[in-house]
Amino acid sequence: MAKTGSALALCLLSAATAFADVEFYQTADRTKVGTEDTFGLTIVVGDAPEGAQLQFPTPDEFEVLSRSQSTQMSYQMGGGGAGVIKRLQRYNLVLRAHKVGTLTIPASVLTAAGKTWKTQPLKIEVSKGRVAPDPRAQQQQKHPSIDSLFPGFPNFEDEDKTAFPDFPEPDIPRSDSDLFLKASLDKTEAYVGEQVTLTLVIFSRVDLSSVDAVNMPKLEGFWSEDLDTPTQLAPEQRMVGGVPYRAYLLRRRALFPVKAGTLTINAAEADITTGFLFNGHRVHRKANTLTLKVKPLPSNANGPQDVNVGQWRLSAEASQTNIKLGEPIQVKVTLEGKGNLRNLSPPALNGPSSVKIYEPTTTDKLSISGGLLGGKRIQEYVVLASQTGDFTLPGLSLPFFNPETGKHEESKTDPIVLHVAPSTTGATAMGIPSATPSLGDAIHKNRLEATGLKSLRHTASFVTPAPPLWSRPFFIPLALTPLVALLSWGFVGMLRNVVAPNSPAAQKKAKTKAARAKLSAAQKLLKSGKTTDFYAEVERAVLSFLEAELASNVVGLTRPALDEKLAAFGANETVRAQILRVLDTCDMGRYAPGMGDEKSRERAIDDAAAALGGFSAK
Amino acid sequence: MMPLFFSVLLAQATYYTPQEATELFNQANDAYYKQDYATAQKTYLKLVEHGQSGADVLYNLGTAYLATGDLGPAVLYLERAAQRSRADDIEAHLSLARAKQLDQVVGALSDEPFLQRVANAFNPDLLAVVFLVTWWLGLGLAAFTHRRPSGQRLVFGLVTLGSLVLAVASGALLANHVYVSQTVREAVVQPEVLKVLKGPSDGSPVAFEVHAGLKVRVVEEDGKYLRLKLPNGLDGWAEKEGVETL
Repeated sequence: MAKTGSALALCLLSAATAFADVEFYQTADRTKVGTEDTFGLTIVVGDAPEGAQLQFPTPDEFEVLSRSQSTQMSYQMGGGGAGVIKRLQRYNLVLRAHKVGTLTIPASVLTAAGKTWKTQPLKIEVSKGRVAPDPRAQQQQKHPSIDSLFPGFPNFEDEDKTAFPDFPEPDIPRSDSDLFLKASLDKTEAYVGEQVTLTLVIFSRVDLSSVDAVNMPKLEGFWSEDLDTPTQLAPEQRMVGGVPYRAYLLRRRALFPVKAGTLTINAAEADITTGFLFNGHRVHRKANTLTLKVKPLPSNANGPQDVNVGQWRLSAEASQTNIKLGEPIQVKVTLEGKGNLRNLSPPALNGPSSVKIYEPTTTDKLSISGGLLGGKRIQEYVVLASQTGDFTLPGLSLPFFNPETGKHEESKTDPIVLHVAPSTTGATAMGIPSATPSLGDAIHKNRLEATGLKSLRHTASFVTPAPPLWSRPFFIPLALTPLVALLSWGFVGMLRNVVAPNSPAAQKKAKTKAARAKLSAAQKLLKSGKTTDFYAEVERAVLSFLEAELASNVVGLTRPALDEKLAAFGANETVRAQILRVLDTCDMGRYAPGMGDEKSRERAIDDAAAALGGFSAK
Repeated sequence: MMPLFFSVLLAQATYYTPQEATELFNQANDAYYKQDYATAQKTYLKLVEHGQSGADVLYNLGTAYLATGDLGPAVLYLERAAQRSRADDIEAHLSLARAKQLDQVVGALSDEPFLQRVANAFNPDLLAVVFLVTWWLGLGLAAFTHRRPSGQRLVFGLVTLGSLVLAVASGALLANHVYVSQTVREAVVQPEVLKVLKGPSDGSPVAFEVHAGLKVRVVEEDGKYLRLKLPNGLDGWAEKEGVETL
C-alpha cells in the first residue's frame, strides 16, 4: 500500500491570513463502492497559513492509486476597502478498498505554528465487486467535448485516431498496478465465422524501454489473421479508474471462430524492459484469459445452409461477349466484402457443354477497414466455345450469413450471353484443347511445371544398409598392422644393436653402412675440382664394403689376391670383374691425366654403386 | 528343441521374405495412387518396423506423409532416406517440406555445420578403402626405399610421399566422418507445436515454440528432456516425446 501519511509542506505564496479564516475539509465522490471500484477523495485547504503542513489520512483498508493537486486563486472585492486574495489548494487522491465492510477514511491533519486543524473522517460502504459506474467518467461524458463546441478544431481525444478505440477500461490489478498487460475482445458473443478482434495492450505508469518478447496464446478453435503488430511502442493516454496510464498497443488480431460453444483464449505473456540504459529492468507480465460465447449459425429455412459468413457482394463480367469461334474470352468473377476471405467458398462458373470453362486462376487481396478484415477475391476463368451460336453462362449466387443483421442473405450475378460467330476460316465447330488456352493466342502451350510431389519409387531394395567399413571389427587391426610392423622392425634392429653391438652381423652391417656413407661422400665431391680426393673416397667406399662383406682386411691386397678372396667368398666372375674394374678406375683417376672431367667421375660412381649392388645381390 | 522352434517362428514373424516385402511395397504404392494415404503409410511402416527400410521404402513413406501434410513424419523419413542415399527426388521432397514448414530460423548461416557438410560430401566406405590402400602402400614403400641404394631412392621416395599424403588426407576425412557420426545427434520435431523450455523441468518457462518438421540438433539429455539446438544457436529443452532422432 502506498504511504499516504507523509507530511507535505505547503509552500504558499500568499500573505499570512488569520487562522480563523482557514478552510479545511475532505470529501469522497461516493460513499458506496465495490472492491473493484476506484473513487476520488478530495482534500481542500483554503487560505492555509504560511509553512502549514498537511498530513494525508493513512487508511490501511484502502490503496492509493494516484495523487494530484491543483491550486485556485480568486480575488474578492471588499466593501469599500481593498480586495482579498483567496487561495484554494485541492488534493485529489484515487483510492480503492482492500476489503468489504463499512470502512473509515481517517481525518486529514493540517498543522501550522503550533495549531492543528482536522477534517471529519469519512465512512465508506464497501461491497464485493463493482457497485456503480465511476461518477468521474459519467461527468466526463456529460460535459460536451471541445470538439463539439469547435467543429474542425483538432481533437486530441478523437477516438478514430486511437489505435484501439474499442478497448474497454480494464480493472487495475492489485499487484503490478504500475505496469500490466490486458487482453480484450471487442465482443463477448459471436456467430461461427464472425470476426472478433483480439487486442493486447500494455498499461503503464513507468517508462518503457522495449518489449522484448510477446507470447501470444494458442488460438485453438479460431482462424486467426494479424491486423496490427506495431514495430515501435506508441503511447496513448488512457484514464483507468481515474488514474492516468500510458497505453501501448502490442497486437491486434482478427479471430474467426470455427466452432460453436464457449471458447477460451489463454493469457498472452510479454517480457518488458522498463527504464533506460543502466536503470533498465526486465519484467514479465501475463495478461488475462478471455472467453467467447460462439453461437451456431441459425438454420436457413429458405435455402442451403451457409458456409460463408460476412457481408459479400458478387459480380461477374466477361472480357467480350461477341466472339469468333476459337477465340477464348476471360470471365472475371469478383467477390468483395467483409469477413474471412481465405475461408470463402465461392460458386463455380458453369456453362453449357458447348462451352469449355477451364480451371480459374484465383487472386486474393486482403484489406482492413475500420478494424474489420475483408478483401477481394478475383477468379479469372478462360472460356472457349466449341461451336457457333448463342450460349448463356448462368448467373452465380453466393448465399451467406450476415452477422450484423443476423439474417441469411444472397448475392447474385446476371447471366452472361455469349454470341459465337464462325471463325475466320469459316469453321462452325472445333475440338476443345484439354489445357487452358492462352488468351492472346489461340495456339496454346502445354505447360509442364516441375511443382508438386514427384513420383514414388516403384521398385525397392529392402536390404538394410551394411554398417560402414570403419566400424567393422577388422578395420582398426588392418590400419594398424603396417605401422606396428614398421615400428617393430625398427625396434628389433635397435634392440639388436643394444644387445649385441659387436656381433659379426652388427659389425658387417655397420661397415656396410660406413661404406655406403663413403660412397655418398664421394658423390658430394663429384662436382668439385678435387679429382684425387674423389677417387680416393670411391676406393675407400668399395674396400670398406668388401671388408664388411668378407669380414677380413682387403686393403693392400694385390688384384689377383683380392680376386682369389672374392672367388673364395662365392662372388661370380662378372661381379669380381666389375669390382676390380672399379678399383682400377680409381687408381687411374688418382694418377692418370684425363680422368678429372665430370662425366668420367659420374661413370666411376655409377660403376661403384653397381658393383656394390651386384655383390650384395650375388 | 523347443527354444529353437520358437526362435525360428520369431525370425519368421519379424522378417518378410523378399516376395512378401515386394507385395507389401506394391500394395502401399497402389493405395498411394488411389489417394488412400493412411493405408499407404501403414503398409510402408510395416516394412520399416520389420527392418526392411531401404532408401526406397523410406522415401515413399516420407512422400505419403508429405501428401497428407504431416510434416513431422514426412521430414523424418525423408531425412532417413537421404542418410542412406542422396538422390534428387529425396532432396526435392525435403525442399518441399521445408517450404511448408512454419519455422524460419533467422540468422542461420547454413542448415548444417561445416564438419557435418564435409562428412556428408564423401562416401565413408570409399574413404576407408583409399585410406587402407594408400596407408599400406606408403608404409611398405617406406621400408622398401630405406633398403635401396641411395641412387635409386628418389623415385620410390616420391611415390612413398604421395601415398602417405593421400593416406593422411583420406584418414583425416574418415576421422571427421567418425567424429560426426559419433557426436552429432539430429532429430525432427513431430507434434504440430512443441514448446521449448528454458530449463529441463516442468515448471520452466517457455523459451520459444517450434513446429512439426523442423530439424534440430540434440546436444544434451537430462531425464525426460533433451536440449535442442537450432542452426542459429538458439537452444532450449523439450520433452523426448516431442522429437524423433534420425
